[in-house]
Amino acid sequence: MEGVPIRNARRGDIPSLLLLWNAMMKEIGAADPRFALHAHAREHQAALFQKWIQDEEHLVVVAEEGGRLVIGFAVASIADGNGWQIPNRLGRISDVYVAPPRRRQGVARRLAGRLLDLLYETDVDTVRLAVAVSNEGAHAFWKSMGWEDLELVLQKDVDSA
Amino acid sequence: MASEANSAVRAARRSDLHALADLRMRFLGAVGHAEPRLRLLADARARTEQTLPVWMGQDDRVLIVAEGEAPDVEEGTPPIVGYAMGLFTTAPPLLQHTHVGEILEIYVLPDARGRGLAGALIDVLTSALTGRGAEVLRSVVPIVGNADVDRIQRAGYSPLQFVLERRLDTV
Repeated sequence: MEGVPIRNARRGDIPSLLLLWNAMMKEIGAADPRFALHAHAREHQAALFQKWIQDEEHLVVVAEEGGRLVIGFAVASIADGNGWQIPNRLGRISDVYVAPPRRRQGVARRLAGRLLDLLYETDVDTVRLAVAVSNEGAHAFWKSMGWEDLELVLQKDVDSA
Repeated sequence: MASEANSAVRAARRSDLHALADLRMRFLGAVGHAEPRLRLLADARARTEQTLPVWMGQDDRVLIVAEGEAPDVEEGTPPIVGYAMGLFTTAPPLLQHTHVGEILEIYVLPDARGRGLAGALIDVLTSALTGRGAEVLRSVVPIVGNADVDRIQRAGYSPLQFVLERRLDTV
């Protein structure tokens, strides 16, 4: 599995990307209902993938097995900082996902590594990402790659306000 | 103490702009001191002075202040000793709740702490954002500031996500 190629996503990958994204969100939503999907999420995400694959502010990469089966994907974006605090420009990794049967073979690590290599070629020197508190495995994964906790996002449902 | 503190909180006015800029720089400076990865940019003060009047005119932004104890009558209005800022946003239709109220900043001067003003600012901000239609409320807090995390949790918020960072020159 070490040799599964990682390449930039193409428009033809969008159906596979959507399947993987949906599976990812189902996993996250099952662990924490606060991530349950909106009724129109799938269409909206399809439009986002279309846009991201073409624009220069997003990086979308896929892991492809056997030259035809997309088994994982990862997304990053580049944007200005908030204008008050460092950094001036910031990379954000929003998604890294590998289909469950293909896990524990280094694919996620290679997808993340490719994104960092691509971000390194831009004007960005700092990258951030958010991990669901319920996803302890993902938190441990990123920490094992040298990432450090910075902030905590807290939420309150208005029903409980 | 809560209702007494709540009565010290009011909407920010144009006449508060200078004091608000001072407070905001104190807040951002304190964050940057505790967490160097969030330290201030050199032009943060100038940007704050330019941006505050714009924010004050926006319907989706809530800017409130906490007044200190009143000075004697000849000095006029009570000083501003704290502030909070929130933003009502409509997120893309990805998660179920798209109407989000964000608590962006809360700060109370050290000398004015211990009177419940921070809790009152959170209460008033929460009500204002809920009144604008927020279905969920979020706050992003640096992890090094455990006191801030505790304060937000005491107001009924629970952890949702960790934000992690990595510098590319350490890759």
